[in-house]
Amino acid sequence: MLRLLRIAAWPLVVKVPVLVAGLMITVATTISYVVLWHFIQDQESNLELVASAYLDGVSAAVLPAITREDVWEVYDALDRTRSRYAGVEPRFTLVALPNGRVLAASDPLRFPFRSIVPDELRRRFATDDGFIIDTAIGRGWLARTLRAGGVPVGRLFAGLDITNLLRLRREILSTLILVNACLTLAFALGGYFALKRMLQPLSILKDYVELRDGRVETIPESYRSRVSSEFGQLFDRFNSMARALNERQVLATHLAEQEKYAMLGRLASGMAHEINNPLGGMLNAIDTIQAHGEDPAVRLTSLDFLRRGLGSIRNVARAALVTYKGGSDINILIQGDLDDLLFLVQHETGARRLRLDWQNYVSQPLAINGSAVRQIALNLLLNACAASPVEGLITFIASYSDEALWIVVADEGPGLPKNIAAFLDQAVSEAAPAPESKGLGLWTTSQLIRRLGGGAEVDYLGIGTRVTVTLPVASDDALDVAA
Amino acid sequence: MLCGHEQRHIFGFSRRTILCSFAGLVGTWPVPTNGKAELSLGLTPVFLDNDMKLLLLLQRYLSQQLDRPVRLVRQRTYRETLVTLLAGQLDATWISDFLYVKHQDRLALLAVPLYRHQPFSQAFVIVNKASKASTFDDIRGTLHAFSDPDSASGYLITRWLLALRRESPSEFFRSFFFTYGHRNVIRAVANGLAESGSVEGYVWEIMKEREPELIDKTRIVFRSERLGLPPIVALDTTCDLPAIQALTAALLDMISDRLGREILSLLAFDGFTTASATLYESTVKKWQMVKAQA
Repeated sequence: MLRLLRIAAWPLVVKVPVLVAGLMITVATTISYVVLWHFIQDQESNLELVASAYLDGVSAAVLPAITREDVWEVYDALDRTRSRYAGVEPRFTLVALPNGRVLAASDPLRFPFRSIVPDELRRRFATDDGFIIDTAIGRGWLARTLRAGGVPVGRLFAGLDITNLLRLRREILSTLILVNACLTLAFALGGYFALKRMLQPLSILKDYVELRDGRVETIPESYRSRVSSEFGQLFDRFNSMARALNERQVLATHLAEQEKYAMLGRLASGMAHEINNPLGGMLNAIDTIQAHGEDPAVRLTSLDFLRRGLGSIRNVARAALVTYKGGSDINILIQGDLDDLLFLVQHETGARRLRLDWQNYVSQPLAINGSAVRQIALNLLLNACAASPVEGLITFIASYSDEALWIVVADEGPGLPKNIAAFLDQAVSEAAPAPESKGLGLWTTSQLIRRLGGGAEVDYLGIGTRVTVTLPVASDDALDVAA
Repeated sequence: MLCGHEQRHIFGFSRRTILCSFAGLVGTWPVPTNGKAELSLGLTPVFLDNDMKLLLLLQRYLSQQLDRPVRLVRQRTYRETLVTLLAGQLDATWISDFLYVKHQDRLALLAVPLYRHQPFSQAFVIVNKASKASTFDDIRGTLHAFSDPDSASGYLITRWLLALRRESPSEFFRSFFFTYGHRNVIRAVANGLAESGSVEGYVWEIMKEREPELIDKTRIVFRSERLGLPPIVALDTTCDLPAIQALTAALLDMISDRLGREILSLLAFDGFTTASATLYESTVKKWQMVKAQA
């Protein structure tokens, strides 16, 4: 509703016809007012002329009779002239003597012989003669002093019916309003349909400009022939852009795969290193057992060393297995699934002497894709390790609240570039980064987060970057089903 | 005086010749055509003189019958007509019965119209239909419209009624005026200009058929006894002239001519007849009474 009140938010196809209608109404009102004003002026001027001619005629006819105070002759003259003047419709005409009494009137019943001239007339023409129009009641009044040899011998009053004039005014006004309203409506509707037709290519463009499954569809060639050349060129350029974007998307996916493999390589080398480290000690322990196996204490110590070494190797192998091959049940996440990640990043932290603040508060199994969550967390941790300076602090917090899993990874690096952070921040799927640019790892992470229906937020804390990922967790019922 | 059929001469010249000569001096006598002098007939508002068709037909009929040009002269009042006749500027005229009575010693009756086959009519006193008056006495204090001071039905009868009451118009009526036409009296009363009026009954009755919307606005409060209809007269000195004789004959024979019957139809008359002065005895008596009261 509020949006409808904001004119700026109106669609162009509505805004332009409304503007046209507004202009038309303004112009039509102005023209109508001017036309009507001139018409009224002319009408009143003509009426005054005709009425004056009418009084001239009546005066000439009654003057000789007035001097004789001949009632019948005056009446006869008034009666005969009543309908003989085109354009004048007298409701009454009366002749009054200088003493203010009626000598004769065209309507004797209303103005009897020797009656006093009505107040209404005397008030309107107290001193001067003239012509008065009262449009409110549709009447006009005339008065003229009749003189014989320069001496006033009486006054002639006439009441005119001007309802026809007023009706004509109303008809002209109605016609103007009707014609202008029709024209305004026609122009507005015409403008609406013409604009709608003209802007149709934009709606086509709008339909195709959205990403669908990470791809932008090109506009079919069949539309090309239906639109004007300007929009045809626009469609061509859009299609070129869409094709380039799709190609980049394919390439980015390919690169992401490569990045994944590269990361796996790094992980594999790290794992080999972690496995290799205890192996030397373990071989020494075996040598010790072979040499001094009869000594129970030495044997026991060596065997304990071997157990710890093998345990360390087992942890690393299990973490890799769970992360990349999936657990027995991928729709459950338990606390240990996240703790295992420590083994996968210990090579990165160890090599650069990074400090890891590990806070895993997930104390219960959660109904969420554990493999994907581990991938997300691992990618964020590896990214933090890569960004952190030597001996830097990396903070990892995992918690469950409000039916959501919260994962926070913070580092003390130089800060995540904005364009790369945008992959995580955006609610909708961003196109893949250019092959030559960085951020493929985080783009992959953002795809995983969206797949799980979650969101991410990137904060800059002065030193380093903090990424907070929120992932929705299904209800306990789902957990039971999964179990 | 009744018009005889013998030609009268003065000093060897006919009176008509003398009158023609006199009229020629003042430059108003018509120029004779086809060897015969034009005959002029005066008309007054006694009848429906506003009908131009009637005047044209009457002029055509008389011209044909008299075989000479005929000029119809319309005057505003009876008196103007009579003065013109007495001045010799008219050959004959249609005047009111009252005026005939007053000047019958110098006038000769040529013909009298027949209305409903009789040479009589009545005088009516009328009021506006909205008036509450039902008798003549009820119109006391009203604004009254007379037709003509020389009209019996349009003035004399009302004056006689007032004489019976020993009153004058100024005493009886609030005010009064003359319209110089019976039709005008009816218009004045119907439209409310006057509250009562004195009118020729014949005119009121034929207007009832022809202008009912006007007559419907009036009501009769008094009908007089039968009075002789207004006659067509000539000077008694000229009534024996051939032209006047021919005029009389044309009037009396109007009923036997197609054009004449059309004229009579327009006038709502059945024809014309000869009459004697006794036809107007009743009018004479009323005039004498009015004169005595005055």
